Amino acid sequence: MIEINNLSFARGNFLIFKDVSFIVKSGEVMILRGPNGKGKTTLLSNITQLLDPLSGEVKYQGIKIDSYIASQCFLYLGENHFAYDQLSLNQNIDYWLSIHNVKFNKAIRDQSIKFLFGELDLNKKFYQLSFGQKKKLQLLLLMLVNKPIWILDDPFNGLDNDTIVKITTLLSKKAENNGLIIIASHQSIAIPHRTYELI
Amino acid sequence: MIKNFFKLIANEFSLMIKGSIFTFVLFCLLMIASSIFSLALRHVTFDIEIPLAFLWIMIFFISLIKVEKVYASDFSEAKLQQYILSPFALEIIIFVKNIMIYLNLLFLFFIFSPVILVILNIKLSYLISINFLLALSLLSIVFISSMTASITISRNNKLSITSVLTLPLFVPILIFSMAITNVIDFDIHKLYLFFLAYFLLNLAFSPLLTSFALKKLSV
Repeated sequence: MIEINNLSFARGNFLIFKDVSFIVKSGEVMILRGPNGKGKTTLLSNITQLLDPLSGEVKYQGIKIDSYIASQCFLYLGENHFAYDQLSLNQNIDYWLSIHNVKFNKAIRDQSIKFLFGELDLNKKFYQLSFGQKKKLQLLLLMLVNKPIWILDDPFNGLDNDTIVKITTLLSKKAENNGLIIIASHQSIAIPHRTYELI
Repeated sequence: MIKNFFKLIANEFSLMIKGSIFTFVLFCLLMIASSIFSLALRHVTFDIEIPLAFLWIMIFFISLIKVEKVYASDFSEAKLQQYILSPFALEIIIFVKNIMIYLNLLFLFFIFSPVILVILNIKLSYLISINFLLALSLLSIVFISSMTASITISRNNKLSITSVLTLPLFVPILIFSMAITNVIDFDIHKLYLFFLAYFLLNLAFSPLLTSFALKKLSV
């Protein structure tokens, strides 16, 4: 269970959000909604400890989250791609799996790539990929990195319908396996979820 | 974890190889700058200190530019978020990246150094001493440059000016590097020990400060 208690954040003198509180239990999907500029991405960064809040706290299983807990429990996928342009798709996958300390399993890796990308030349350089394919590389980590909490910022942006269905299936399976998911998105998601509106 | 750490080193090495063209271009510029320097002062006789100081200042600038280029691309916001949430400490990732930058610069300097020494009219008998001294001092230069770069690439441009605060840390390196010209009066082993000690001091603080600056200023 993750508890967000009275979280507030300000950039300079500008208050982005104030006293945000909600609880997400294991096996639940929480969607953050709100107009642009209301601080959805900032709230996700506060939850993952990438940004320090002005006030309030975030607890996981009753313990205040610090950078160690965040690195062990959170898988965060932001809006922008993180891969290296000069590396191939294959090299990028290897690189980011080693960064996330994933035990290498070629069979699972190949299976996941095939599920998400279908037939694709893995030796293609990252900059040669389309926006949607770049997004898929990020989402591939959902299948290969085993962490209990997924924090996703607009995961469906730029994806085709087939991929959206595949990602929805992944989210659904994660929730069934007692995973905890927090998503900032404007799109509707075809799985049971709760919504928190940032106003 | 250990296996993935070695894999991380291998991956960083591969990234470093791909970034070598930029370093090569920087060293070509160093050769051009050295040629202009020597041509401009062709009628003047001067001691070895002057071309050596010129060389060290150029190396300092090359390191600064290289480190900033690597940091600007490798620690963009999205990548940095993944590094921070990785089971590896950000300090470890910074250390590995710095060592790779160091190896990249050192390897190219070893290739270019005989030509540069000839252009700058420095005796080739100094080649091994200069290369060895640079190998030691470049470690500190790269680690200090990483602190400078982490502040310079911050999203808050107002804070970038504070990166000049790290510049005095380069001064001992420049001063002691000039001592190589007085090797007869000066025990060269003590000089090497100084650079080793200065590097260890930087090693203790630089990854911590760089990581702090990246976390607080760039996310």
